[in-house]
Amino acid sequence: MKRPPPNRLADLQAVMAKAVMRPLTRDDAMQRTWTDGSPTAEVAAQFIKPNDRLDSFDRLEIYNQQYWWRLLGNFAEDFRGLRAVLGERRFDKLAVAYLDHCGSMSWSLRNLGDRLEEFLREHPKLTAPHSSIALDMVRVEWARVLAFDSDSRSPLAREEVRDIPTELLRFGLQRHLILLKLGYPVDELLGKLKRQSEMETGIASNAVAGAHSRPRRRLTARASNAPIYLAVHRQRFSVYYKRLDPEAYHLLCALRDGTPLENACALAFANSTESSQVMAEKTRSWFNDWMGFGWLTRPA
Amino acid sequence: MLSSRFNSFTDYGIGIGLRIPHYQHILEKKPVVDWFEIISENYMVDAGRPLYVLDQILQQYRVVQHGVSLYFGNASRPNRDHLRKLKNLVKRTRTPWLSDHLCWGSVDGRYTHDLLPMPYTWEAVEKTAANICEARDFLGVPLAVENVSSYAEFHMSEMSEWEFLCEVVERADCGILLDVNNIYVSSKNHGFDPQTYIDAVPANRVAQIHLAGHSKFEKYILDTHDHPVLDPVWRLYARAIERVGRTATLLEWDDRIPSFDDVHREALKASRFLPYEAAAA
Repeated sequence: MKRPPPNRLADLQAVMAKAVMRPLTRDDAMQRTWTDGSPTAEVAAQFIKPNDRLDSFDRLEIYNQQYWWRLLGNFAEDFRGLRAVLGERRFDKLAVAYLDHCGSMSWSLRNLGDRLEEFLREHPKLTAPHSSIALDMVRVEWARVLAFDSDSRSPLAREEVRDIPTELLRFGLQRHLILLKLGYPVDELLGKLKRQSEMETGIASNAVAGAHSRPRRRLTARASNAPIYLAVHRQRFSVYYKRLDPEAYHLLCALRDGTPLENACALAFANSTESSQVMAEKTRSWFNDWMGFGWLTRPA
Repeated sequence: MLSSRFNSFTDYGIGIGLRIPHYQHILEKKPVVDWFEIISENYMVDAGRPLYVLDQILQQYRVVQHGVSLYFGNASRPNRDHLRKLKNLVKRTRTPWLSDHLCWGSVDGRYTHDLLPMPYTWEAVEKTAANICEARDFLGVPLAVENVSSYAEFHMSEMSEWEFLCEVVERADCGILLDVNNIYVSSKNHGFDPQTYIDAVPANRVAQIHLAGHSKFEKYILDTHDHPVLDPVWRLYARAIERVGRTATLLEWDDRIPSFDDVHREALKASRFLPYEAAAA
């Protein structure tokens, strides 16, 4: 049955958006066949006028290509580490699959990767056999996005907590501090990638203006023998990674979840064999650092 | 020529778009620039470097907001969450007017992040004008809508692009951000006389003008904002200024961005065409 041409604004926008967001072919062209098996050229001709140089298909294809090149470009910028871990071909395939499945549900391209971790968990074949390291990389790279511009609250001053008993003392954490437990040293891989990219940029700066550096070799790392506890945080206006002791990580997680200090310490050191004096010294030292970083706030 | 209620900022002169590669130069050298245009969406965040830089720029310069994703031409109503965040930014910048595009770009909450062309129909006129009014009433700041470059035309259109623009701005009672490069690009892609377009625009509604470079391909022209302004576009700008008088003018350069000085120098070429502002009485 022949489909009627769109004659209402909403109908036209629905069919054009569907066409624009359909993945391109391997040759970066618009797909020749529509979702129902009919020629895409017929669908395009129903609502787009041809001109003396381009037919309806060609004109629609310009928008189809622009959509994908824009989104893929932004996605690749946000997940350079994932691209380095998977290699370009696997990454490109994954990017198309993710964007086709999830699209962009935000007016801001900043949020393009907000469902990537969930998507990778649901589609491990897309990253196999590197699924675990890929997932760790995505978690760190998305944490970077969040840490870069998340809200900042007034850091807690020492005087504000001095007289509160530890069993009642609660803290909040800055939203631009994200705590992660990882199986792979992806923070080190990102550092390596950054240095690699800086070297390439320096070399290429007199040659191809505006070209994006692309990793030539896949970055790999062995799984860590023990979990890596990482804080991704913003200091001044840059994002940093800081490795944490396991107990410090658990303590921060407990504080973030609203646990009073005394209970949080008990949870953090539950498996520790260290003396109470050592534990107290460590805790004091961590709090010094965390207050210095401005990580602690009043409870939310 | 007297300014109109939509063009009350004739002292704004020639501005350029605020872009990341120029941050350091601007903050350190503090160059003399009439004003900066910011892409609103780049600063609709909670904290961090973008807002820190913006606050420093605001201390030194006049800033006008320009958006890319309000999508007045969507068949659906404006996104309230987007409007709330935009209003917060308006309070921060105290932008004297705010612009976005006469286009659509999302369906059922899924965004294309593109400026998609409108079908020029009476239904679209009604819907677009209603969306502009809703956004203006919420934001509480004068709005101007920008004509976009396009690569496609629709069978269902019932009028020309300039007739559509005129109908929308009359019904919404809003200003126009006249992009003369976009008019040129679309005129080549669709085969109309760009001067007919310029001459049809209601001069008293033009609040701002955009200039930019474009890229020529074999069968069409793409609005790439990665080149200096081409001569035919300067000629259209001259004609537009003849009609509308002194108007805040801005050069957009968004890709392969050269040094700040190069961009500013290109923008200042507009002063050849811009009449001097009459001295205040």
